[in-house]
Amino acid sequence: MSAPVGIVLVSHSAELAKGLGSLVQQIGSDDVPLATAGGTDDGRIGTSYHLVLAAIRHADRGGGVVVLPDLGSSVLTARAVLEDNPRSDITIVDAPFVEGAVAAVVTAASGADLQTVANAAKEARHVLKL
Amino acid sequence: MSSSSESTATESTTAANHEIVVVLSANLHARPAGRLAKAAAGFTSSVQLEYAGRTVNPTGVLAVMGLGATAGATVTVRAEGPDADQAVAALADILATAE
Repeated sequence: MSAPVGIVLVSHSAELAKGLGSLVQQIGSDDVPLATAGGTDDGRIGTSYHLVLAAIRHADRGGGVVVLPDLGSSVLTARAVLEDNPRSDITIVDAPFVEGAVAAVVTAASGADLQTVANAAKEARHVLKL
Repeated sequence: MSSSSESTATESTTAANHEIVVVLSANLHARPAGRLAKAAAGFTSSVQLEYAGRTVNPTGVLAVMGLGATAGATVTVRAEGPDADQAVAALADILATAE
């Protein structure tokens, strides 16, 4: 099997990112490379260019990386990082944060490629909860 | 141009077709849904999960959770393809032994 796709969770809150990371590893797999970038460099609510870049590097094991931002400046910060470090195998995905992360990690754990993992996260928007 | 036809189903098929009815040992919540999705992705057969008149693809963990199937409920696992037998057995085992 080829290298697994890595997942990066970007949030304004370190606790939110870390908590979601624990959740998806329980549902999915702790074999999937997962990294979180939550909060600012000094631990406040916000986003950090450096933390996002470090998380992407951590999750990058050769299978590509899917970056999931929660909202607002998480998107802007993730975009800025990717603009400065353009790679065809790193992609930001527009998806609901919790559901998208669950779908992405479970799909990555099954050995799927980057495009399939990214699509699974996007499709999470259309799956009914009730 | 798009075709509105979905009439590609074949009347007769040489591929194996298997089906098992399972009584859930636990609510079909996040963890068993995750196990189910990973297992289902490992087979080449097309697999379906049916509960209360709704059919979902078990590789979609969110769709499986969205079924809202609870402990004691009856779920049908169906597969069609070369490894349908093994697929159905593996998924039924996860459903019947989930905690």
